[in-house]
Parts: sequence; C-alpha cells; structure tokens
Amino acid sequence: MPATRRRALVTGVTGQDGPYLSELLLGEGYDVFGMVMPGEVVPAEVPPAVHLLEGRLTDGASLQAALTAARPAEVYNLAAATSVADSFEDAVNVADVTGVGVLRLLEAVRHVDPSIRLLQASSAEIFGGAPTSLQDESTPLCPVSPYGVAKAFAHQTVQLYRRSHRIYAATTILYNHESPRRGPGFVTRKVSIAAARIARGMERELRLGNLDVERDWGYAPDYVRAMHRALQQKGPDDYVVATGETHTLRELLDIAFAAVGLDWRQHVVSDPALLRPTEPVRLCGDASRARSRLGWAPTRGFADVIREMVAADLDRLNQGGLAPASPDPAAPRQRAPG
Amino acid sequence: MSRSALITGITGQDGGYLAEHLLSQGYEVHGLIRGQNNPRAAIVRQLVPEVHLIEGDLHDQSSLIGVLEATHPDEVYNLGAISFVALSFKQAINTGEITGLGVTRMLDSIRLVNPAIRFYQASSSEMFGKVRETPQTELTPFHPRSPYGVAKVYGHHITVNYRESYGMFAVSGILFNHESPRRGHEFVTRKITDGVARIKLGLESELRLGNLDAQRDWGFAGDYVRAMHLMLQQDEPDDFVVATGQTHSVRDLLELAFGHVGLRWEDHVVVDDRYLRPADVATLVGDAAKARRVLGWGPTVSFTELVAMMVEADLRAVSSSRAATAASAAAP
Repeated sequence: MPATRRRALVTGVTGQDGPYLSELLLGEGYDVFGMVMPGEVVPAEVPPAVHLLEGRLTDGASLQAALTAARPAEVYNLAAATSVADSFEDAVNVADVTGVGVLRLLEAVRHVDPSIRLLQASSAEIFGGAPTSLQDESTPLCPVSPYGVAKAFAHQTVQLYRRSHRIYAATTILYNHESPRRGPGFVTRKVSIAAARIARGMERELRLGNLDVERDWGYAPDYVRAMHRALQQKGPDDYVVATGETHTLRELLDIAFAAVGLDWRQHVVSDPALLRPTEPVRLCGDASRARSRLGWAPTRGFADVIREMVAADLDRLNQGGLAPASPDPAAPRQRAPG
Repeated sequence: MSRSALITGITGQDGGYLAEHLLSQGYEVHGLIRGQNNPRAAIVRQLVPEVHLIEGDLHDQSSLIGVLEATHPDEVYNLGAISFVALSFKQAINTGEITGLGVTRMLDSIRLVNPAIRFYQASSSEMFGKVRETPQTELTPFHPRSPYGVAKVYGHHITVNYRESYGMFAVSGILFNHESPRRGHEFVTRKITDGVARIKLGLESELRLGNLDAQRDWGFAGDYVRAMHLMLQQDEPDDFVVATGQTHSVRDLLELAFGHVGLRWEDHVVVDDRYLRPADVATLVGDAAKARRVLGWGPTVSFTELVAMMVEADLRAVSSSRAATAASAAAP
C-alpha cells in the first residue's frame, strides 16, 4: 500500500510567508494546497506544485468547501489584512478578515474534521503597548492598532478552541520577519528599494515616519520553520518567535545605505504625515519556549537580512524591475485555481 | 435644548433601565431596534413609551451611520450584543460579528458622522475568565473563556484604541453581573427566581441547574446604568470596573430565593450536566474602588434585597399569568 502524502492547506499563500512555508512543506513531502481569493493574482514566488483553491476568510461556507476539498492534516492560517498602518482606515474589514476570519476557520475545522491541526500566525502587535521590555507567551495582550486588536481576538479565539473544543490549534507569535520577498509597503522593503534606487540615481529621497521605532526583526524563512514545528508537537501551545534583539529604524538605514556606499542622512526625510495615530514603541520577543521545545533558532542576523534585501533589489533593478510606478518586483501571473 | 442619547440593545434588561434613567435626567432617548416587526419593540413601547425607536442593525454599518445622522445624539450607549454566554458557544461567529465587530462599526460610524459624540461600551467581567488576580480591577489581564468573552475583549480593546488613536471620548464600563426582575429567563438568577415562583405556586416541582459552585459578583441593574451615565459626564474618558465587590455562589442564591418563600432548595434542585459550560470561569469579583472614587458611584441594593425583589416580581408575574390562563379557559 503506498504511503499517503500528508496534506497541508495554507491560507495567505500569496503573501511573504506563504511561498516560504509552501517550499518548506513541499520539501518535507507534503501535498500543499494554497487558498487564494477569487480573482486574486498569484505571484511567481508561489511554487507551481501548490494546488490552488478558492476561499475567503469572510465566507465560512467557502472555508468548509476548501477543507472538504483539500482534506488537510494541517492548516496554516497566514491570511490577514496585514498592514498595521492601513488598519486605522479600515478597522471593520480588518476585524472581519483578521479576527472573525479565524473564528470561521476554526468552526469549519470543527465541523469538517476536528482532528485537523491548525497553526495561527499571531503577531507581536498583540502586545502593542506592553509595559514589559521583553514579551513572552504569558505577557498580557495590549494591542494599540485595529490590526493588533483583531490579531488579539484571533489569538484568544485559538486558545478558546484549544481548551473548549479540544482542537489542536497552536499559535506562533511572530515578531517582524523580513526577506527579499517582503511587500513593498513594509518599512524594511521600502528602505531596501529606496537604497537601491538612490544608489542607481533613480531617486533622491526617502520619506519615513518615526525613525525611533525599535523592532525585533528576523528572517522570514526561519519563522516558517517554527510554524511547521509548532504543529509537530504532542499538544498545541503558543510560541513566541523572535530574535530577542531590537534595532531602530536608524540602524536599519545605516546598514541598508552603507551596503550601497551611501549616508542615509543625506536622503531620508522624516515626514509627520507618515506617523501612525498610535504605535508600539518597542517590541522584543523572548523565544525561549520555541528554542527549548521546538529546537528552533534564527539562522540569520539583522544586518545580513537587510543586506540580502538590498542586494536582491539591486539585482531586480539590473533586470529592469522595480519601475517607479509599480515597485512590485514579481511579474504577476494568473493561475487558475483547481 | 435637551441632550440626546442613542441606546443600542434597547430591548435588553439594561436598555430599559438606562432609558428610564436618561429620561429622568431630561434626555431625549433614541433606541436602536433591529429586524422586521421586532416583537420586543412592543415591550419597550409599553415599558418606556417616551423612547423613540429607530431601525438599525449592528451588522450593518451604513444603517448605523444613517441612525446617527437622523438622531444627532450627544451620547451613544452600546449595550447591543449577543449576551448569553451559553448561546455564544453555539453561535460563535454571530457573537464575534455582533458583540465584537458591532462595536467597531459603531465607533467608526461615530468617527465619520461626528467624532464629538461620547461613546459608552458595555464591557463585561466575562472578559477576565480565568482570573489572574482577585478581585479584578481595570488593570487585570483578560483571559476570556467563551466566544462571548473573547468578543467583549475585542470590543474593549477597540474602544480604547479609538480613544487613543482619534482622541474620541470613548469609554468602557467593565460591568460585573447585574440582575433585576427584567433579567432574561436564560440567565441563572432569573431562571432560579422564576423556578421558585412556579414551585411555590405548585406549577412545577423541580429546577434543573448546572454548576452550583460558580461564584459571581451580582448587583442590581438599576444601580449599574447610573454608572454608565456617570462615565460619560467626566472631563476625561476612562474605563471603570462596576461591581459590588462581594461574591455569592449559585448555592447562596438558591438558599435566599427558596428561603424567601419558605422552601428548601435541596428538595427541588437537580444538577444537570447539560447546563455545564464547556469552559466555565472561576470566581469573579470586581474592585470598583475607582468608580467609587472618581464617579462617586456605589450600589444601593444588596444581594439579599435583589433576590427578594426578583422572587416577589416572579410570584406576581406567575400568579397573574395563571389567572389570565384560567380566565381565558373559563371564557365561552
């Protein structure tokens, strides 16, 4: 009798983490199903071996259908409205997708097959205004943006279903994690693109908000490993996934502009219009539990990640990518789900 | 010109008491009512005829914007919710959409229509769930143990977020259990006082309940709506715990309620596992020191008085409905 391949369903497969996770799962021998929204453009980074299915977190029936079709052993919920800044203008929709969406997914799991294991991509933004300088899994939630509030709802819902309905539902509380595939709206990528373009003389200045924000920035391919391992344990739990060190936006600028031989002070303008109404000042995660129980550790340091991002954007410029009108490097291609 | 208030959840226990209180303070009161020919509208019209009922739904943001534009309230009290914990396990998504997202829809509507409107969010002690400290204050972390509790935590956080992000006068009142003769029959206090009245009047002989050891901090709803109003009259928006600070078990409640009519609860109460919640919360008791200090608020009705008030009201209600049934049976 041939061994059945394990099956996994990944929501948010078109984001930064989705393709990395898909690559990891394919490498582990999984059949991988990726959920996309009807009509969504699927970027080239999504491996062709991923089977695409349509579904929306705002539509519970579509989630049931996706689970019934994919019959996964594991579901990775990476889908969310991920921009913290945009969430201030779109709080209702953000809560519907990022918050209640997880509830719909858990209800679908409960009805279709309660033995499905679910990984929820929680975010450090749930701690937001945390009074502690180092957060771990027991730090009280204190979100300070509509995105963080919705992620907190999702996080507590997962804990509730674990306890009340005995679902294997785990969370990874992910601190910022970056890569050359980071969306151009995120600050790290905004900086790496600008450094590359300014180095090539295509641009002169970069406008940013608060330069004093401090974040715990890691490497996305490291973080998807933690997600996979969190579902291979005896029981479900919550895991902070972080490097444990913070850097300011100024340090990020130092590294990115130094990589192209420039001084950022001559190019960066701090623009009050880009400040968020409220913002966590410093988020730093204690990943002791992930290290001890999952055997997880980051493989790449902050400076290396940023340099890799700048190098990748220089390459894209060399290949004629990163046009000013559309900073998205990946030439989108349409793939029919099925 | 008199001040104007909009109340969501006008058909609930607190909606009626709050409407009466605001009317007594000279407010023009509007009540949001959902659905087509909502049967509870008639109950509200009978109880507080001065309230203007207006149609709208926490599911539908554009309806809320329309209601705010039509009623021009100075204050909005968001009491609308799926508020019964056991139901929230069966209708978790609906609970998230109404009890949780409904808050954001209202806050966002206020931001768009008139951000000077003051907003009260009815938060709940169920947010504390598996408590980390006793008694609970405004600073106690939340560990909700029901879909209702999770949705209420969301509503609390988003209220604080709109206050901090947009400078809106938005406050969250963390209310511990509060009861009255108008409490819905699905809640344990009313289920007991109604059961006591039926048993006393010979209509029933037993009462089936879940966990008798559950401890709650029970106050009188009429006292709690005063705190809601006071919170919106302060110079600065802030969050407050509203509670009596005393806990009683379901067993204590049974002693008082059955004792009030000269019966022994042990002769009538049957523990039924079907009424146990999937993840019951432990002892909840609130520290309302801040509300006492800043708002000058305090409860006026004791637990014993509350239980007696509810049993008496149910004795009257059961007697009169029996009389009405007898009269209609006797009619030709």
